[in-house]
Amino acid sequence: MFPHTTRRGVLGLAAASVLGSEARSAAAADSHITIASHVSLAPTWFDPAETAGIITPFLLMYAMHDAIAKAMPGNQMAPCLAESWTTTPDGLAYDFVLRPDVKFHNGETMTADDVKFSFERYRGASHDVMKERVAAVEITDKLRVRFRLKAPWPDFMTFYAAASGAGWIVPKKYVEQVGEDAFKKAPVGAGPYKFVSFTPGVELVLEAFEGYWRKAPSVKRLSFRVIPDESTRLAALQRGEVDMALSIRGELADEVTRTPGLSLKPTVGSAPYWIYFPEQWDPKSPWHDVRVRQAVNLAIDRETMNEALTLGHSHLTGSVFPENFDFYWQPPAPVHDPARAMQLLKEAGLGGGFDAGDYHCDSAYSNMAEVALNNLREVGIRVQLRPLERAAFFKAYAERKLKNLIQGASGAFGNAATRAEAFVVKGGTYVYGNYPDIDTLFAQQAREMDRAKRTDLLHRLQQAVHEKTIYAPIWQLSFISAVGPRVEQSGLGLIKGFVYPAPYEELTLKTRT
Amino acid sequence: MKQYIVRRIGYSFLSLFLLSLTIFLFVRLTGDPASLLVEPGASEADMQAIRVQFGLDQPLWVQYWHFIASFVSGDLGQSFYYRTPVLDLYFQRLPNSLILAATAMTFSLLIGIPSGILAAVRVGKFWDNAGKVFALMGLSLPSFWVGLVLILFFSVYLGWLPSSGSGTIWHLLMPAFALGWYFAAAHMRLTRSSMLEVLGSEYVKLARLKGLPEAMVIGKHAFKNALIPVITLAGINLVVMINVAVVVETVFAWPGIGRLLYEGITFRDFPIVQGVVVIGGAMIVMVNLFVDILYALIDPRIRLES
Amino acid sequence: MSVTTLPAVAEAQYRPAAFWRGEGFPLIPVLILLLIAFVAIFADFLAPHDPQVGSLARRFRPPAWQQGGSMQYLLGTDHVGRDVLSRLIFGARVSMIVGLAAVLVAGTIGTLLGIVSGYLGGWVDQVIMRVTDTWLALPALTFAIFLAAIVGPSELNIIVILGGVYWTRYARVIRGEVLSLKEREFVRLAIVAGCSRRVIMWRHILPNVINSAIVLATLMLGVVIVTEASLSFLGVGVPPPKPAWGLMLADGKKGLMVGYWWLTVLPGLCIMLMVLSANLLGDWLRVKLDPQLRQL
Repeated sequence: MFPHTTRRGVLGLAAASVLGSEARSAAAADSHITIASHVSLAPTWFDPAETAGIITPFLLMYAMHDAIAKAMPGNQMAPCLAESWTTTPDGLAYDFVLRPDVKFHNGETMTADDVKFSFERYRGASHDVMKERVAAVEITDKLRVRFRLKAPWPDFMTFYAAASGAGWIVPKKYVEQVGEDAFKKAPVGAGPYKFVSFTPGVELVLEAFEGYWRKAPSVKRLSFRVIPDESTRLAALQRGEVDMALSIRGELADEVTRTPGLSLKPTVGSAPYWIYFPEQWDPKSPWHDVRVRQAVNLAIDRETMNEALTLGHSHLTGSVFPENFDFYWQPPAPVHDPARAMQLLKEAGLGGGFDAGDYHCDSAYSNMAEVALNNLREVGIRVQLRPLERAAFFKAYAERKLKNLIQGASGAFGNAATRAEAFVVKGGTYVYGNYPDIDTLFAQQAREMDRAKRTDLLHRLQQAVHEKTIYAPIWQLSFISAVGPRVEQSGLGLIKGFVYPAPYEELTLKTRT
Repeated sequence: MKQYIVRRIGYSFLSLFLLSLTIFLFVRLTGDPASLLVEPGASEADMQAIRVQFGLDQPLWVQYWHFIASFVSGDLGQSFYYRTPVLDLYFQRLPNSLILAATAMTFSLLIGIPSGILAAVRVGKFWDNAGKVFALMGLSLPSFWVGLVLILFFSVYLGWLPSSGSGTIWHLLMPAFALGWYFAAAHMRLTRSSMLEVLGSEYVKLARLKGLPEAMVIGKHAFKNALIPVITLAGINLVVMINVAVVVETVFAWPGIGRLLYEGITFRDFPIVQGVVVIGGAMIVMVNLFVDILYALIDPRIRLES
Repeated sequence: MSVTTLPAVAEAQYRPAAFWRGEGFPLIPVLILLLIAFVAIFADFLAPHDPQVGSLARRFRPPAWQQGGSMQYLLGTDHVGRDVLSRLIFGARVSMIVGLAAVLVAGTIGTLLGIVSGYLGGWVDQVIMRVTDTWLALPALTFAIFLAAIVGPSELNIIVILGGVYWTRYARVIRGEVLSLKEREFVRLAIVAGCSRRVIMWRHILPNVINSAIVLATLMLGVVIVTEASLSFLGVGVPPPKPAWGLMLADGKKGLMVGYWWLTVLPGLCIMLMVLSANLLGDWLRVKLDPQLRQL
């Protein structure tokens, strides 16, 4: 049929194709990374519309979806699905120019319709704030979207692109076609990996999306295996059953450092941990006296806690605002001085120590709480540990049901202002009382368009928080993961402040020599 | 005969009814079941929606009717965390529990039956006493502690077996042994007493009088008859094993029904807890029914007795 | 824990020895139980350290006889530096209290209902027996977990839950006893003499079933303690930071992989000793007090 076909040629071709396919399948078989997850994967995390203001859903969102802009290596607000954006001079509108030819996993191309749709269907954290402030989303062109605001809002991008999932784009036609429930069972996004299968509580399997706009992932198959038990997770890594194990702490992390072939990857997240004093506004409570609160601050031995629980990788801080947040003010370093703590207690009239009631915490962090408890006892403050499972804890925290001492934390995205809003200012979700001077500062900065002035106001706000010892900050937790011998680039630590492996398209395996 | 079966089935339905009633009432024990039926962290509005959805403001018997109706139709509620029907989750994990239980049962019978026979045959002497000790150990050592000690020896010190997880037969060995341990002792006890009864029966005495060798007496005649109650107990225990494996499955991170229950507790995912309990109870009632009827078919004395 | 409606397989007609140990008084088990009780009562004086306070700098110390251990922490320290020995001692208190209280609750309810059910007969009997059978069908641990999920774990709740789960075992056995007692002479005489049912149940029946109740109580103690330990291990038992042996097992599990054996083996040994002793005592009591109960 073909001219010049010779037997040798055909044989050669056949040989080449066989060898080629063998090499391909060998590479494909190798090209699979399994990540052992410390939490059970919830289907709500497949859908950006349900992002709950915690960091965990982003573990999966970075794999399956993409956003207008998101944190990337070197840029906390890197343009992704949008090539660029501009603000009008009056600050009332944001214009986005979308990237052309971005494909979803089902082959459809992304348009402004999808962006508008994704914003409007968003019902996760902060959705009410955004719906309130955004007057309308206008499609000016197939690839141009304009967000019109009711009033100038300097934090719009922070909320849209970072603190919420509204900027993560899903395909309108597909979602409308299959419905919300079916979407969670077979999600389609614009991210580097597409959904293959999900067995609840067991495993999520993803496949590389060759048409990803940024680049095709080199690892062809990605699975997340759910192993909530820490020892089992590590055991699986040691036996080579998984390639990465998320969240390995304390003595098990020690074990990793002693195991050849395994490496430890600590990453500091954006989650400061603290002790809150919900009763400080009550004149009858011992916590009303700032000296007592300062005593707690001085009593905590952060260094030893750090060494013991996170092998020294956590970032000790004197602030409840994450260090990598916009408008961050650097307070003086925290001090450990139990003698001075006892001195302060004496001055406050509580010289022999006192029974301070309950110490509430998220049960996942009971280990921290137990250490803190010890430290407090050493200076005479006696408390009872009351751990609560995470969801119940945050609910009780937000409903203002907790008394005495609360060990809290927040890994939500945002900036110093968003943190202040939730945790310091009157009316905030987790605020049990307020100080008028701080409220004034906050109100001022919310109106302030000039960045320098705003920074100054926010700095003064944070300073006031520090001086009043509204909180006793502990640290910014280091999330420690362990990586096995097959992995070259694990993605851990590439994006500042993000503790999970990302961007997933950068993951690579060591090539066989 | 038919009468017996009909009566027995009637009892089972009564048991199922009482079981469902018990669970139904206990859920309402705290006065506000909405706090259980709703996702942890939900708002007051959500709770109100749940109250309407489950008809919690309606009279109790109306609620119970809906409760029963939904269970019968296979709707055991939806897990908050997984957003999947509990029934689906249950059946996804069931095979794992079955594998574990079957292996554990094999262990328990392999250990229990021979030791029980030995104890019966050498009654009062060394092997009987050893058996006594073994039975006591089975009763007194919690299965999860056995599991932890096994991990210590075989994983940490010797490195022969994986400490937890699933996937290969090596993962199966330790949890199956830990789970089967308690039942091995129970089966040994039953084998022993059953064997003793048979050995004292007229039938065996006759065989002895006939001059048959002792080994044959034991091996051929006594053994088979003695085994019947043990096998039936084993059948029931298989189902029981699936339900009590929660701690062993947690220790070894074995993804079965027990693990599902543990997740339900940890996540405050009440539909899972309720579903597992209901299905577990129903399974046991059904197995008991099945075994009783089977037994009645085999052994006429039972029918007459009841 | 297994349930069957099969007729109970009768004890050997083939003589002679009873299954369990014969006439020997179980000295060692009783001593162990007394020791545990003693430790539980005087925990405050016996424990060398505060069980709830530790020092991170001294965490994961092995027991004194191993390298790295010290006499100060005889049995080593846990992951936050708390003394294991002190925690075991205070844990004994929790186990004792929960165990005894739960057995008491279960025993009281079960005995009373067993008497009522056995003596009165009729529909009362039917209802109680049906409920008993049904609740027996549900494995105790699962049922306890279910209840704990509803009411939330606390020491008191656990006692009530365990009592509420285990009374059925009492009721069954006591009812059996009562049924045979009903036929006895002295009961018949009492009826003839015109005693009210309540008087008969209280004055005549009850004292005669007390023996069985006691035997059951000791046998149940072991089971209850294992269940409590299981609940604590799963995180729905006595809440931290109260030291409970089951909780120590849960905490210690992480250290297992790294070879910190004392955190799991020691609490487990304590549980085992207590349960074993209770079982041995119960068996001896059974043989001594009421041979009829050998069916158990």
